[in-house]
Amino acid sequence: MRLTFIIIGLILSLLAVILAILPLYTLSFIPAILAFLFGLLGFYKSKKSHKPTHTPQLIFLLSIIALAIATYQSVYSTAEVGDTEQLELREENSLEESMDELESIEIIEDDLDIIESDIDITD
Amino acid sequence: MLRLFIVILFILSSSLNAQNNAFQSGEKLTFTASYNMSGLMTDLAQVTMETSEVRTKSSTLLRLKGTATTYSKWDSFFKIRDLYESYVSPKTVTPYLYKREINEGGYYKYVKYNYNHKNRTVKSLLRKKSKNFESGFWDRNNTVTIKPGTRDIIATLYHLRTLDIHKAPVGASDTFTVLFDNKETKFSFTMMGKETISTAIGRMECYKLKLNVIGNDVLKGNNNFLWLSADENKIPVFSKFKVAVGSGELRIKNVSGLKN
Repeated sequence: MRLTFIIIGLILSLLAVILAILPLYTLSFIPAILAFLFGLLGFYKSKKSHKPTHTPQLIFLLSIIALAIATYQSVYSTAEVGDTEQLELREENSLEESMDELESIEIIEDDLDIIESDIDITD
Repeated sequence: MLRLFIVILFILSSSLNAQNNAFQSGEKLTFTASYNMSGLMTDLAQVTMETSEVRTKSSTLLRLKGTATTYSKWDSFFKIRDLYESYVSPKTVTPYLYKREINEGGYYKYVKYNYNHKNRTVKSLLRKKSKNFESGFWDRNNTVTIKPGTRDIIATLYHLRTLDIHKAPVGASDTFTVLFDNKETKFSFTMMGKETISTAIGRMECYKLKLNVIGNDVLKGNNNFLWLSADENKIPVFSKFKVAVGSGELRIKNVSGLKN
């Protein structure tokens, strides 16, 4: 039982650290807390059976690191838009192309109004 | 006879004077798109909706531009740079040209619709990247027949804002035909009533509308809503939707250039 708690705790704490570094950091809170709890269980089981407590301590350390990184990220990471140069260029090119096409399109305002009155509205 | 004449005259004049009091050229709305990740809302992308004036030799049109850009932290995982454009009549929001260029994590698709309202047809172009062609693109041209009043998705969103929503009683619904991927799809909006919600631009009284896509299962469940500000601008301030891969939200972040 002690070994199971320690293994689960270790896997969860490693997962929490990996998630905390990625942009998915919000997801790392759950495994970090679970890892901490499994670490606690492993720690008490080890204490009871007079076995070494190094691994549960490592689990504590890893889960605390994961929680710290994730908290830091959620506080300080601002949602900023990345490079949009290409998109802006595409927007400009598209407008130029559209202008050419719109010149050849026949726009009749009267026609528009008739179309508008044809709209089927179901109440 | 005279009464009938007055009624006909009134109906005609109201349809001919369809006015757009909700938006003007120079309006910019910025949204944050979030995705529900195991119960935690994570900000994914920035969505903008902008209007600008476009002058051709014969007329003046409105360019409705929508963009979706992932936040920089997601760019190395799944980069989205989407561009949606619709060139519409400023008065009736009738579209003349629609363009959709999506660039999502390496996937590219370009769609263009040239509307011909006289013949009620749309000349469509679908373009995808392909190594099998010298140009690097695979093109497919089509002509689609449309019903009167059919708009693209962008023009429909703006058209919705021009309607007299304040006159709609709770439970009333309105159906719009949207041309998406060369198919006419019916979108229905049902008035759920007024609700005051907190947004990044302050507490606002809004019209809560329930969104339904008829005959298409793109939206899941019965909890897809859109909140429009209960004023003349009718800005979309909040939206909740559920799709196959999870649920998401669209929250207003910034507004500028409002008409009222």
